[in-house]
Amino acid sequence: MSWIRERELSFLERLTANILKAGPMPKHVAFIMDGNRRFAQKAHVQRQEGHSQGFEKLAETLRWCLNLGIHEVTVYAFSIENFKRSKEEVDGLMELARQKFSRLLTEQENLEKHGVCIRVLGDLTLLPADLQQLIAKSVVATKAHNKCFLNVCFAYTSRYEIASAVKEMAWGVEQGLIKSSDVSEVLLSECLYSSNSPNPDLLIRTSGEVRLSDFLLWQTSYSCLVFQSVLWPEYSFWNLCEAVLQYQLSYQSLQKARDLHREGQALQQMEEDRSCVAELLQHRGNGKLVDSQSRQKELLNYIASREERVRCFLNALQMFYPVLWGSGYV
Amino acid sequence: MALLNEMVWRFLHALLYVQRALLAWFRVHIWRWKRAVLGLLLPLALGFHNPKRAGPIGKRTSRRVRWGADGRTLEKLPLHLGLLITEEEIQFTDIANLVVWCMAVGISYVSVYDNQGVFRRNNSRLMEEILKQQQELLGMDRSKYSVEFMKNGADKQEHQVLSCQSVVKVLSPDDGRLSIVQAAQQLCRAVEQKEKTSKDINVTVLDSLLRESKNIPDPDLVLKFGPVESTLGFLPWHIRLTEIISMPSHVDVSYDDLFGALQRYAMCEQRLGK
Repeated sequence: MSWIRERELSFLERLTANILKAGPMPKHVAFIMDGNRRFAQKAHVQRQEGHSQGFEKLAETLRWCLNLGIHEVTVYAFSIENFKRSKEEVDGLMELARQKFSRLLTEQENLEKHGVCIRVLGDLTLLPADLQQLIAKSVVATKAHNKCFLNVCFAYTSRYEIASAVKEMAWGVEQGLIKSSDVSEVLLSECLYSSNSPNPDLLIRTSGEVRLSDFLLWQTSYSCLVFQSVLWPEYSFWNLCEAVLQYQLSYQSLQKARDLHREGQALQQMEEDRSCVAELLQHRGNGKLVDSQSRQKELLNYIASREERVRCFLNALQMFYPVLWGSGYV
Repeated sequence: MALLNEMVWRFLHALLYVQRALLAWFRVHIWRWKRAVLGLLLPLALGFHNPKRAGPIGKRTSRRVRWGADGRTLEKLPLHLGLLITEEEIQFTDIANLVVWCMAVGISYVSVYDNQGVFRRNNSRLMEEILKQQQELLGMDRSKYSVEFMKNGADKQEHQVLSCQSVVKVLSPDDGRLSIVQAAQQLCRAVEQKEKTSKDINVTVLDSLLRESKNIPDPDLVLKFGPVESTLGFLPWHIRLTEIISMPSHVDVSYDDLFGALQRYAMCEQRLGK
């Protein structure tokens, strides 16, 4: 299959994988596949060839991830900022995407066999119309699969994604589905393109750069970040193992930080709910004091109605902004 | 078989733990040894070449001049440098040293962050340490620097100043995701009150709203101290293009450690998508 290399691990690789799997393993890994052009320069080939090799390496890496029990992978294929590159390079990348998505559509059986679900996240309206069609078909064809998930960020930046999520919540308010006080961290996360995925446990960036470049800024706040100096087309199974090891070393601290954050979030929500209820009672009451039992009852009612509102809003979003675009049309 | 794998895994992690502990021990002891040797040799050297020994004031001035000159030798200096502490135990003196060195080198905006809110809860203690170290290391008059501490809300403590040369901000996770959520709520309220429509919302609008309440410039460089490989909730919106350099620990950190990181930053190339 073109998107996932069909190749078994060597004995040593299998042994290493089994040893690593004795510890906590990331369930979702994100890759910033950087270094294609530098590789092309190093190998004295065209840039386009560098990108092509980069895709081959992606297919290989997906195979390694499956072997390591990592069932969700998100990759940064093309940033909105990359449109600034030369027309030749951008056209070349679009052509590569066309080839790969077209090829994907001819491999239905294999996709089903591996249970691969492909999602494409980004502002797809910026892409050529025919590519948008190919992407739509690929996403629809694999929508029902659930063994492993590949999220391709194409024409994507994190800030754009966050702003889109805010826009969707504002739309919800406009439609009277939710109130502005229902806006929370949890709700914003549900409105991101990546709402169908858990946050990445591990983010790997190759080629030695040590920045996030507008990739999954919200989702990777508590992820393990590993920066590796190897160029993407030269990535190896051992590099991946090294990154997973780094994840395992930071695991306890990250769990602790995530739990702390979650507690803070819950507290914040509780405070918000309480103040909304207080305001409600003030409006409703005639200066009468409300006893704590009624206040508690009101609070529970309020939380239930808030959760119902949010549920309806998220359902409406699914219908209005079809899932197959990952909200890319906003 | 699974048991064997687990045993090997435990052994591997034990090895790594020992390696990390050894490296940390070496780092601290070699630095202390270097400091002791310099402490012994330098006065001797000065004693041979300079009949007049530089007093404490002279030493501070020459250090201040040297650090300022160091800053000017760099291709580029970050406008905003973030100090991200992932370690549980925080040594306020070391943090204060880092802040003072940053100011001396010419960085105009320094932020200090930890994900448990320790700095936020102890910002007066941090402030005192910084002023103390400023005096100790630079001999500057207290009133010459503006040290502004950011709390969650409008309550800013500002030390009065004639020439505002550096700003120090204490940040916590509330300045990250929570601030974005608060900005989102504000926009939604505006939509509720028919002052805006959802179509008006885009990256620029959200960005300017975030800058309005807490005008934090995007960090150019974040120095992350400690073994945890994560930003732990540090300003997610702002770190879009931030260089993240890891340092092993803030405990007993030296000026050379800081300057090494700044040199590394000066050499990096930002292509901005191109």
